[in-house]
Amino acid sequence: MRETLSLCLYLMRLRVRTRLEFRASLIISWIAQAFGYIGVFASIWIILTRFETLGGWTWPQMALLLGFHTLGYALGACFTLVQLRRMEEIVLGGEFDTLLVRPINPWAYLVFSGFNIEYGGHVLLGIGIIAWSLPQLSIDWNMATFTLIVGGLISSALITASMLTMIGACALLLGRARYLFGIFFDFWELSRYPASIFAPIFQMALLTVIPLGYMAYVPVSVLLGRPVAYLGSLAPFATLAAGPLSVLAAIAFWRFCLSRYQGRGG
Amino acid sequence: MSAFLALIRASFQREVEHRSKMLVRILGGLIEILARISIWQAVFAGHGTMNGISLPQMITYALIGGTILSSWDATMIVRDVGTTIRTGAIGATLLRPVNYPVMLLAEQLGSRLFDWVMTSLPVIAIMGLIYGVQPPASLGHAILFLGFLAVSLAILMLSAILIGLFSFWVFDAHSLEWFLRGLLTVLSGGLVPIWFFPSGLAKVAHVLPFSWITYHPMAIYLGERDVVTGIIYLAAGMGWSVVLGGLVAFVWSLACRQVVVQGG
Repeated sequence: MRETLSLCLYLMRLRVRTRLEFRASLIISWIAQAFGYIGVFASIWIILTRFETLGGWTWPQMALLLGFHTLGYALGACFTLVQLRRMEEIVLGGEFDTLLVRPINPWAYLVFSGFNIEYGGHVLLGIGIIAWSLPQLSIDWNMATFTLIVGGLISSALITASMLTMIGACALLLGRARYLFGIFFDFWELSRYPASIFAPIFQMALLTVIPLGYMAYVPVSVLLGRPVAYLGSLAPFATLAAGPLSVLAAIAFWRFCLSRYQGRGG
Repeated sequence: MSAFLALIRASFQREVEHRSKMLVRILGGLIEILARISIWQAVFAGHGTMNGISLPQMITYALIGGTILSSWDATMIVRDVGTTIRTGAIGATLLRPVNYPVMLLAEQLGSRLFDWVMTSLPVIAIMGLIYGVQPPASLGHAILFLGFLAVSLAILMLSAILIGLFSFWVFDAHSLEWFLRGLLTVLSGGLVPIWFFPSGLAKVAHVLPFSWITYHPMAIYLGERDVVTGIIYLAAGMGWSVVLGGLVAFVWSLACRQVVVQGG
């Protein structure tokens, strides 16, 4: 276990060093990606300057939601998105067969050897927006609040990583999985808004089968003392439990797909 | 011209071959439009109208502006240019009897036409049945809207090709793609119409070419401008298209000198 962990860290270090060879390109990419997000956030800000609230959420509250969403996503996606989005090519090209004979778990190899530091722009933007919004909100600061912020962000990252893992694992069964990432991002974009503005069926979906509501909406609602439909007083516990539960689901699904993998390329 | 049309047809045909993706695209379109409509329903809950704009108008804006006039696919052009340069395929592209930007334009037009027919129209039909969609303000506005549609397409494609061509110098199409995405999200009025912008930003956004992608066509469709003013705006949009076309030709001529092919 210790050797596997040190190998994973070594793979990560190699990847980071490779990317740091092109520092200027990396920084431009951080700025560009943050700029892309700022375009969406600015649009939401414009709506709120004109209409004052969105489903009862003011701009500082929305900013906290957007910051939480961006940061939680980035922390999960830096380990998974680019790596597992390639699963289709990896499986159809026969590369996955070569991973199976390596002395390391294929998922761990893929995830750690592809650790992506291009999410720096997301991370800085997320932290920046959270840092700007928190002092403007009347949040009761205590140990529970701190636990909720840190635990909620970890949970958010775990949900992202788990869902992307499950989608990537579909390539082991179906050969094709790329189009599923498109569906994921369609729902992911929904989850950056307060779920309460959507029809009840979508709210239910975001809290159950597609648990992206726990990425930001539920934890931020709890922090702000806003009611969460369908969860009520369970919302703080659900926030912290959603991440680990989705990890268990992802492990089970990855193993299931792996046990049925028969090789598709080469 | 025949080569241009042949490329459009080939691109359309290629999309037809990948029709299994169609359902996914329709699902994605439905979810995106649902989000936009939900946002407008939520913010209009406490207001009858805002700046003279009503909720049914904004639902129509979200439906048509978010599908037919949607700006997102334009970033694919930048990605295509980046891939062509990174893989070295640009060398073979230069040997073809059609100018590369013209080829890009034709290929993207084919994809776009397919997208309109097979994705946008079903999404408008489904969501229109659920939430209601307003017809154009008058026959004159409807005819003018078709002209704006052509201008929107031209400005969208030419802006994306222009930014994509900068990959010849910066070699990082991925970053250019994100910059374009950020610019278009705000300045095209794709998500939020310029009516709702703060006055300073609105003045700037009004005259930039990006506002002809979604905002000006929808302002005409909804009858927020009379036909005569609409014709003046259409002429201005055509002017921007010509300027962007000239810039693409100029940047392409510079880019050709930049290419060094070192193998086959």
